[in-house]
Amino acid sequence: MIELQGLTKTYAGKRVVDDVSLTLQSGEFGVLIGPSGCGKSTTLKMINRLIPLSEGRILINGDDVTQLPVEQLRRRIGYAIQSTGLFPHWSVARNVATVPQLLKWPKARIDDRVDELMTLFQLDPAEFRDKYPHQLSGGQAQRVGVARALAADPEVLLMDEPFGAVDPLTRETLQAEMRRVHAQTGKTIVFVTHDMDEALALATRIALLNGGRLVQYERPIEMLVDPADDFVREFIGQADLGLKLLSRRFVHQYQRRARLAPETGLERLDEHAWLVDAEGRPSALAGARLDDADAITRVKPEWIATPEMSMKEALSRMVWYRVTALPVVDRDGRLIAEVGMPGVMGIEGDGAAREAAS
Amino acid sequence: MSVAAERSGRLRRAATGNLTLALLTLLLVGLTLGMSQLEPLFRALFPDLSQPLYSRDSFLNLMLAHIGLVLVSSLISVSVGVAAGLFVTRPAGREFEPMVSSLAAIGQTFPPAAVLAIAVPLAGFGFTPTIIALSLYGLLPVIQNTIAGLGTVPASTREAARGNGMSAWQILWRVELPLAMRVIIAGVRVSVIINIGTATIGSTVGAKSLGTPLIAGLVGNNLAYVIQGALLVGLLAIVTDLAFERLERRYTFG
Repeated sequence: MIELQGLTKTYAGKRVVDDVSLTLQSGEFGVLIGPSGCGKSTTLKMINRLIPLSEGRILINGDDVTQLPVEQLRRRIGYAIQSTGLFPHWSVARNVATVPQLLKWPKARIDDRVDELMTLFQLDPAEFRDKYPHQLSGGQAQRVGVARALAADPEVLLMDEPFGAVDPLTRETLQAEMRRVHAQTGKTIVFVTHDMDEALALATRIALLNGGRLVQYERPIEMLVDPADDFVREFIGQADLGLKLLSRRFVHQYQRRARLAPETGLERLDEHAWLVDAEGRPSALAGARLDDADAITRVKPEWIATPEMSMKEALSRMVWYRVTALPVVDRDGRLIAEVGMPGVMGIEGDGAAREAAS
Repeated sequence: MSVAAERSGRLRRAATGNLTLALLTLLLVGLTLGMSQLEPLFRALFPDLSQPLYSRDSFLNLMLAHIGLVLVSSLISVSVGVAAGLFVTRPAGREFEPMVSSLAAIGQTFPPAAVLAIAVPLAGFGFTPTIIALSLYGLLPVIQNTIAGLGTVPASTREAARGNGMSAWQILWRVELPLAMRVIIAGVRVSVIINIGTATIGSTVGAKSLGTPLIAGLVGNNLAYVIQGALLVGLLAIVTDLAFERLERRYTFG
């Protein structure tokens, strides 16, 4: 648990962080967000004392951070930054092992931990252990940076715009990985970004700062549906609010029973229906194509949705592939349900999804 | 270029470099020990000279004395220079940076002959005033490159080192110095090469070096002596330079 109490930072008489108080429970993914100069990075860096605080208190699991020797404190807190900050003269394995080495773990334990973390971030240890940072792609380097931050199993992980310098596609992959790693490790994370979509994709709590002050501290859905003031409303952006909401909702909240096509009489169907193969995997769709409603179309892999997929992504695929329904499959690829355009509209109207998602 | 091709190209270049270095070292040792074997050659080249081979001292003695001068003065330059460069890049010494930089620059603008002239009345003739002059003269490149080398360490790398819980010493030893080493060594290389050349003027105040036959040749109008001294000094400088180049390459990352 991280508690900020009346946290203030003054530079030359100017309060760049002004009386910020919030509590982040253990295992939560907290995102500090706001326009440039709002004090979000400063707030983050006061937690591991890279920047000394001027007033207030920071408690990690009840310990006042200013009461601990600073190096000892930082070894308890993982730290990942935008430009990775990997040590260019050290191999990937040695970079990941930075904090365990400082803590003088035995070599065998360090080696095991490095392999474990590289596997967690889907970097094959055999291939990547002995590579140097300059031999990595941006996404790989960033994974190593986060792996290094997690190496000594810290109580808290601080991340300062870690995905700010990678291309949008890699960023989404890294975000998905971060969600998975957070779910697997249950770490308490404080994450700084200026990108609302990134915050919505990751956060369990969002703290919106402006001019050094905490404007709203809320769960993502509540912030979207109930912004505290005009600044929050403006920062979230009104134009695609609907889509932003859908990015916090998941297919399993919207899916409905899939209708299987009858053996014969496909041409007389009044509604679309699915054909499955011997293993129960969706193979074709009768009807439901926007361009030719009567056609029977083979199911493309890109259509297939999973219960964990965000509704934003499902909707995007429907629009892109011009199909009004997607098959939803289980882990083995068997058809379990479908999700369709009418579903998106229907549930949105009665507010059921809002309850379900929050 | 593929990684494999780049690697094999680099290996080939390194191999050629090694061969050059080995051959030149052999030549240097050979000439130092066997200069007297070349007496017929010098006699043929300079038929007017009665004494075409410098023989008041062995070239081995002169070479060892020369290397001794360079070694001692460079050791002083490097330890003082690196220490000063480190000091002015730490938070405690940052305000001294302009002063140290200009002091070192002034050391460089003094002609070594002038420093010798000042040092002789203070330290007498011979080894000591030469060491003072050479040490002062070699200081600037070391200080400059130590400051520049530490400056090449990216701020993000330093921040990551701090954020991961390294102490100031650990950051210096494990991160800053290894990353700055290539540039620092380049400074030492310049300093040592300058000193190999400049050490010859030590002979004007009585310090034994490869400058001794050079000066004797200039004074006595004996071109053969000048060539013999200059040849060995030049070769020593080239061999040392190549050796430093190999050392620098070890500290290239990415």
